[in-house]
Amino acid sequence: MHEEWTDKLSDYLDGELEAADQAAVEAHLRECRDCSAVLNDLKRVVSRAQGLDVRPPARDLWGGVSARIDRMASPRRISFTLPQLAAAAVVLMAVSATLAVTLLRRTETPNTIVQAPAAAQAPSTSPAATGSGTTDTPIVERVSLADAQYDAAVADLEKAVKNGRGRLDKATVDIVEHNLQIIDQAIAQARDALAADPANGYLSGHLVEARRRKLDLLRRAAALAESD
Amino acid sequence: MALTAGEARLPRTVDDDVARAAQGDASAFERLYRTHVARIHSLTRRMLGPHEADEVTQDVFVRTWQKLGQFRGDSAFGTWLHRLAVNVVIERRRTFAIQRERISDDQTALDLATVGPARADLTLDFEAAIEQLPPGAREIFVLHDIEGYKHREIGSMLDITTGTSKRQLHRARMLMRKYLGG
Repeated sequence: MHEEWTDKLSDYLDGELEAADQAAVEAHLRECRDCSAVLNDLKRVVSRAQGLDVRPPARDLWGGVSARIDRMASPRRISFTLPQLAAAAVVLMAVSATLAVTLLRRTETPNTIVQAPAAAQAPSTSPAATGSGTTDTPIVERVSLADAQYDAAVADLEKAVKNGRGRLDKATVDIVEHNLQIIDQAIAQARDALAADPANGYLSGHLVEARRRKLDLLRRAAALAESD
Repeated sequence: MALTAGEARLPRTVDDDVARAAQGDASAFERLYRTHVARIHSLTRRMLGPHEADEVTQDVFVRTWQKLGQFRGDSAFGTWLHRLAVNVVIERRRTFAIQRERISDDQTALDLATVGPARADLTLDFEAAIEQLPPGAREIFVLHDIEGYKHREIGSMLDITTGTSKRQLHRARMLMRKYLGG
């Protein structure tokens, strides 16, 4: 078998060769029985591939599909009604206002109030808890303020929401943006407070929660924009 | 608007079911599923293998449900669905970051590929032979020789050159020839 020729046989079979190459292959095929046999085999392979029947799955998969689409909104339905979004905005405003007041009070108090000593806490297997044998050292999990993965996820979702903005009605866009503004404000407040008191576990927890809430809201908004 | 008795007796068409499903009618969507599932499952099984076919087929129909509102009728529903299925399969491959390795021009896969003897059941044997192909060659063989896509389209879908698509197709055909006792 001559590989320099057989390598061209699929292209020849599919009519993909330039005229000169095609003529050269044809001339070779007239003289070479091996390559002609390979070409015939390839023709059989292609012919059988084109004649394959489809086969259904061995088990019925509809139950799984049905369960999943039941859990989501229908294609033209909006996942959240306007009153629901409005209610969410009110709750967020109330939570944000309460937290802002709390933050101001907490940042003026010693660390020992915001984080109980390790010995007073419920048993924990976390490295921070098991690594401390003293009772006067606060166990505080620091929050990374420069979480590249989080920032990238937020940026991606913000882009998705921006791109899908045209598919959402104005009232929905206004509410989503208003909620984001509130959450961003809460994040900024928590960051400022943490800058003054970096070891404050309560503030760290609040910042984590606010960031999680922002991610969640962006995910929902992106899903709305995609599904609408 | 209420249907008249005559309209109610008219047989449902795929277009009717697409329109109803897009409005949230799960029964209409189930009819679409039953009409097309064999073709979609055959595609996913041949492209990804039997172990992933069921799950990915379900993913395809869930994605279809989500995107029905975007179907404009520019092509037949079956064509639109099939292309969506191909995209889901390709995304699946990319998610597991195996695409580029499998599309490489490395001859190792060809050299290491085992060649089994032909079996009595020729149809099953052909399907089994497809499963034996190295993944990169297999998906191009399925897309080109079974599904009828052109090299240009395959190159665009898989983000590879037309030349790579042609080489992988030839590799797949030569392996199939061996598998089938040629």
